[in-house]
Amino acid sequence: MENPVEPGRTLQNLVEPCSLPLYACLRVAGSRIPDPGSRFDHHIFIARDFSPRIECHGASTVVLDVSGLGRLLGDASAIGAELRRAADGSSADLQIAVARSQAAARLLAIARRGLTVAAGDAAAAVAPLPLDTLRVCMEDDVVGGGRAAARLQTTGVHLETFRRWGLTMVGEIAALPTIELSERMGQQGLALQQLARGVDLTPLVPDPGVPRFVQSMELEWPIDALEPLSFVLARLLDPLSSALERADRGAAALRLDLRLVDRTLHTRVLQLPAAMRDPKVLRTLLLLDLESHPPSHAIDVVTIEIDPVPGRIVQYSLLERALPSPETLATLMARLRALVGEDRCGSPIILDTWRPDRFEMKNFEPSLQSPVSSSQPDVASVSGEVCRAVAASAAKADGTPGTLILRRFRPPVAIRVTVDRGRPLHVAIDRRGMPGGRVERAAGPWRTSGAWWNGSDSAWDRDEWDAALSDGSICRLFHDRLADRWFLDGILD
Amino acid sequence: MPSARRVELESLLRARQLDRTLTSAIPWSTSRDVAATGIASLDRALGGGVARGHLSEVVGPRSSGRTTVLCRMLAAAVNRGEAVALIDTCDRFDPLSAEGAALDLSKLLWVRDVGNALRALKAMNLVLQAGGFGLVAFDVADVHAAALRQFPFTTWMRMARVIEGSQTVAIVVASERLARSPGGVTIALEPPPDASTAQWCGVSDRARFLRAIDLRPRVVGGR
Repeated sequence: MENPVEPGRTLQNLVEPCSLPLYACLRVAGSRIPDPGSRFDHHIFIARDFSPRIECHGASTVVLDVSGLGRLLGDASAIGAELRRAADGSSADLQIAVARSQAAARLLAIARRGLTVAAGDAAAAVAPLPLDTLRVCMEDDVVGGGRAAARLQTTGVHLETFRRWGLTMVGEIAALPTIELSERMGQQGLALQQLARGVDLTPLVPDPGVPRFVQSMELEWPIDALEPLSFVLARLLDPLSSALERADRGAAALRLDLRLVDRTLHTRVLQLPAAMRDPKVLRTLLLLDLESHPPSHAIDVVTIEIDPVPGRIVQYSLLERALPSPETLATLMARLRALVGEDRCGSPIILDTWRPDRFEMKNFEPSLQSPVSSSQPDVASVSGEVCRAVAASAAKADGTPGTLILRRFRPPVAIRVTVDRGRPLHVAIDRRGMPGGRVERAAGPWRTSGAWWNGSDSAWDRDEWDAALSDGSICRLFHDRLADRWFLDGILD
Repeated sequence: MPSARRVELESLLRARQLDRTLTSAIPWSTSRDVAATGIASLDRALGGGVARGHLSEVVGPRSSGRTTVLCRMLAAAVNRGEAVALIDTCDRFDPLSAEGAALDLSKLLWVRDVGNALRALKAMNLVLQAGGFGLVAFDVADVHAAALRQFPFTTWMRMARVIEGSQTVAIVVASERLARSPGGVTIALEPPPDASTAQWCGVSDRARFLRAIDLRPRVVGGR
């Protein structure tokens, strides 16, 4: 039997080509700004055809791990040629490099046009490259600002120092003594030297990829009513929901683009409170939103795009009360908003101000936190059927008068008050079903004022009174000192 | 034979889910799930609290403490970890004083300033049909009687049917008795006889403030 192993080769020599990592880099020269749907996206698709392990650097470079392709395609040159063939015609300024490290592949792709293959030592392959290659390589990673941009600025300073030292090639930086370099430039200098030696600073972090969930339908006849549109939405949402389920994803936002017959685009974006993919829920939400915001003309083309997020995993408890599910809540809130208005349903939050009736509405999102244990105010013991509801505290630390439950009138009702030495004696209201009568007992005045520094529109200055009237009702009145008028703020109930 | 006919009639009613009207089918006669109101004496009078899955009502005139009882019930439900909802027909709810009564507002769905009673009724039905709430309150205390008379006759029965068998307590807050389901209760608050029912603190006029008001509830139970 013929011995295929040539004399003089060691086991390491034989195993090496298969076991050593091999990376390829595709780079579009001159592309820095992320542009969805650009030719760079096309190159990402090409990279995915070759390897599931790809990593994007900025908006121009994609590195792929082609270590296992040797058996399928051949050596590094064959892999590079196959990559060039796959990308043939896609872009004239596409630069491809195949090397033993990511860093070397990236540097070669930056410096050399066309296809470059360096299957040997990475440091030797990048040694003759110009110094500026390192700067471009660092720039590729910086898309926005922040810490990376600051690091890039420091890198530029270091490269300028190298130039002043008379260094022009990458290999010359690689040859510098490490300890002295560290003493002068610190960790960043060392990182630059590692890059110059073709050593990977970080392992390849595979990009999970974000598939687009888009469905579109061009209608044969324009639709101008919601009912027929609901069937179209169902037809589009069903496959989208299936695709989300296959990818274990949920929808975080729904974007509905309706191209109308007058060539305008009616766009609605729904931000969902939780990841969901039930097509019926999504369709209901879209229809309810369109009820509130109908398109101006008939619809020609319907496009739905979903922003995917990882699927929601919920561990229910046997011991806690079940809260409404996010899908149920989203549908309920959409229906309520359509019924009563956008800002008239939700949870109130108290604003940090002394202004009366200080609150604003926010989305109702009950959290699954553990119940509060007995934080209720004390209730005085009672006898028989009579009990005394003592509000939280008569004299709160903030100095507000007793926090009894108030039924507030919005806006306050104008009243006529007979006053003796500043104290209300009699209350009369010209509205049916409102309290009124002689003031049996009163407490006050509690004076509050504020926002006078903002101008007269938002300023308030009032004296509040709690008054028990002869008809049995206990009211909160106030005297608006700016307008010199009396109002009924609410009824204590 | 009469007993056989009775059995047949009862089975027919059960098949049509109308067996709540049968005296033999009182759901809480043996064991019933109740929600505490947060007021100890009232809970004692109610036998633990208000029945879940039923429509109850809190009625009384102005300043009788209807809203105080309601807020305490909402706070008690929230403290049990439940979500609560308030359909506020006339936009009377005051979040500030409710927070003072230990109500965690983040778990309160407040539907406010609905505009008219019929729309508020629709909102109430939407919330009840969504399910998952521990307590849903429908405040029509300041709605004119004429507007309430516009409600269809079947309104309250349908509302009771929606929550039947669920863990939800539905509460109607009104000035007069409106409706309750067979298992529900009416908490009738007596009108304050005079200003002395209010608890005033402080000796001088300038230092006086209103501390509390007395509640005089009377429980009118189901069968």
